[in-house]
Amino acid sequence: MKLRHYETFYLLHPDLSDEERTAISEKLQQIIISGHGEIVKIDPWPLQKLAYRVQKQPQGYYVLMEYGASAESISELTRRLRLDEGVMKFVTTKTNNEFDAEALAKARDESAPPAEIVEEALDSTQSTEKREEE
Amino acid sequence: MQNPRNNRTGRRRIYIRRKVCRFCADKSLAIDYKDHRTLRHFITERGKILPRRITGTCAKHQRRLTTAIKQARIMALLPFTSGHILKD
Repeated sequence: MKLRHYETFYLLHPDLSDEERTAISEKLQQIIISGHGEIVKIDPWPLQKLAYRVQKQPQGYYVLMEYGASAESISELTRRLRLDEGVMKFVTTKTNNEFDAEALAKARDESAPPAEIVEEALDSTQSTEKREEE
Repeated sequence: MQNPRNNRTGRRRIYIRRKVCRFCADKSLAIDYKDHRTLRHFITERGKILPRRITGTCAKHQRRLTTAIKQARIMALLPFTSGHILKD
């Protein structure tokens, strides 16, 4: 089955707990994986103020999910997003007609610093020392 | 007296600064509906999309910008109108 590169951006209710939000995220990922797709990136945003009220809520949690999937799993994903009470809004866009997981991974490695440095960056003092050495 | 060509009574000089499309000038700047901070430059205070003649965006990028702004509005990243903007 042909995979295409999609991204889904959804808005979650602000009253949801961390666990509930990860549960929704995992459920959605499961749909993609069971449809022989592949997850590229999950990017949850912090609680954000909205431009206008949605379901009477002034704020919400955005989550961006990038993945490669077939058209069939998209319709299943859309159905699940509509059913879920915690999802206030969502939009799915096609980033690319082709999905090449290897090329994507390569591009990410080139743009982002290697994993070791990212881990060290958590400890700010350590990372500055390292940069000075270099 | 100064050079008559430069004096004030002469024909009014119109300075037209050639506006350049921001997305053409900076190729790394992508139009993304999630990037509402960039998109905010292209809407009025009331939330309307600014015309090309004001922002200087080229036709190709204006088309993409319009779709991006509309998608951002749907996702509550940008307002449809200032009347619903949240005040706190």
